[in-house]
Amino acid sequence: MPLASKITACCTLSLVALSAGSAYAGDWVSYRDAYRAMVVFEKYGGPKNFLQSQLQVAPQDRGASIEGLQLTLAGKTNQVNLPLDPLGRTPFPLLKGAYDENVALLLSRKIGSFAIRPRISIALQPDGVYEDGELRAACEQALGFARYGDGSLRSRQCGGVRFVFAKRALDVGVRLHRADGSDAALPVASGTAFPGDADDSFPTVLYRFAGNERVQLVTAYPPLAIVPLFD
Amino acid sequence: MTKLFAPAAFAALVCAAVSSAACAQTPATNPMPDGSRDMYVGLGLASGARYQGAADTERSALPVLQVQLSNGLFVSGMRAGVHLGRSPQVEFGPLLEWQARRDAAGEGDELGGVGDMRFSLVAMPLAAYSDNRLAGMPVIHGRLQGGGFLNYYLTPDWRLTSSLLYGAGNARDGMKLELGVQRLALALGPHHRLAVDAGVSFGNRRYNSAFFGVGEDDSLLSGLPVFDAGGGLKDARIGVRWNWAWSPSWMLTSSVQATRLLGSARLSPLVERPTNLTVSTAIAYRF
Repeated sequence: MPLASKITACCTLSLVALSAGSAYAGDWVSYRDAYRAMVVFEKYGGPKNFLQSQLQVAPQDRGASIEGLQLTLAGKTNQVNLPLDPLGRTPFPLLKGAYDENVALLLSRKIGSFAIRPRISIALQPDGVYEDGELRAACEQALGFARYGDGSLRSRQCGGVRFVFAKRALDVGVRLHRADGSDAALPVASGTAFPGDADDSFPTVLYRFAGNERVQLVTAYPPLAIVPLFD
Repeated sequence: MTKLFAPAAFAALVCAAVSSAACAQTPATNPMPDGSRDMYVGLGLASGARYQGAADTERSALPVLQVQLSNGLFVSGMRAGVHLGRSPQVEFGPLLEWQARRDAAGEGDELGGVGDMRFSLVAMPLAAYSDNRLAGMPVIHGRLQGGGFLNYYLTPDWRLTSSLLYGAGNARDGMKLELGVQRLALALGPHHRLAVDAGVSFGNRRYNSAFFGVGEDDSLLSGLPVFDAGGGLKDARIGVRWNWAWSPSWMLTSSVQATRLLGSARLSPLVERPTNLTVSTAIAYRF
């Protein structure tokens, strides 16, 4: 096949691609691709009662903002707005009709390059009190699920959890209550919520598992996420 | 030469059509609703060697077909099989593959019961090949091969692949083992995916004899020297494919693959050029 013919064919296909790609004012994600990524947690048969799974729209540029960003499931017959939290996450509805229809998830505006990922975090407690043992169990559940999909994590161990707060949270912080009655505030540092995230300016509090002492962690203001850490 | 279908390249491209994966790789946990499917159909162009080891290339229209069902059944170009595994890290199951016909015009013939789809857009009589090493060689008829596949994910992005197929050649006793490693779904932005594949193929003595050997009768008819092809390493390959999703339904899938014949196959008098390049691009619609 002459080189000129190959180039002509590629250019033709590219022009078709560009015209097709301009169909959406914002950006889009394949619902079917998102479904395939998200249903793995749903079908996972191991313990997961301490965990929650959400879909994350993660900008790849550190400066990109997702404030006010809307994600809409755009079916032929109905549209469902999926609210994104400040970390770009939303509970993902597993809908057979939307899968079969091969609908788009529409972003309300362009945010540059981004990735769509399932994110596992530890479910929040309404009273803001977390027992050390529960956090360890939750981390072990998360590690079990991670190993289910990625055999290379077999050698990893649960090392702790990271509390991630909103940038404008009224009261950022986690207090550590020990069995002897002592109380201390854990240090706050800026960082990313999840591994691989671009935005590293979220207030975070790291709690590392150590010893067998019974402790409680108390948050005065609900965190955005509690992320398990694997060492 | 231009053909309508080139099954070998067809099989390679339809594998590339899967946005998140490659051939025979629906995770065994079937990440779709019960009773649903994921299907790609499309058409494009391919350019590749006229047959394994040929120096001349031909371009072909390239149909794209990939079907995955929630019950584990899949059709991937010239391959079909069933996923039996229960773990997302291991895929295995039975596999069928259509071995393309090879005649004096090269490789490529029927396509999955569609019938004889091989006719030239540009008429070119056999005599036009001034140095057609397949002239006088027996036709290798299209054959259904049976076997199995076993894939293991090192990580969600890296996977080792293998397949063993038996039944190639006119005597239906050729066996081919393919081993490979793939880097899956390297994301280049939200709508571009790049995947890299490398591997080697082994053929038993009968497989290599069927495709690369020259018997005494064949030698008389073709003028090629007698060649007794042995079993063992057959080729090594490396390929890259790029999927560009334009919408949830439409995508452009393109691939480049280099294959180098090795071992006894490379020494065959049928081989004019041991290294072949296959380039393809197609538009696919996802149902």
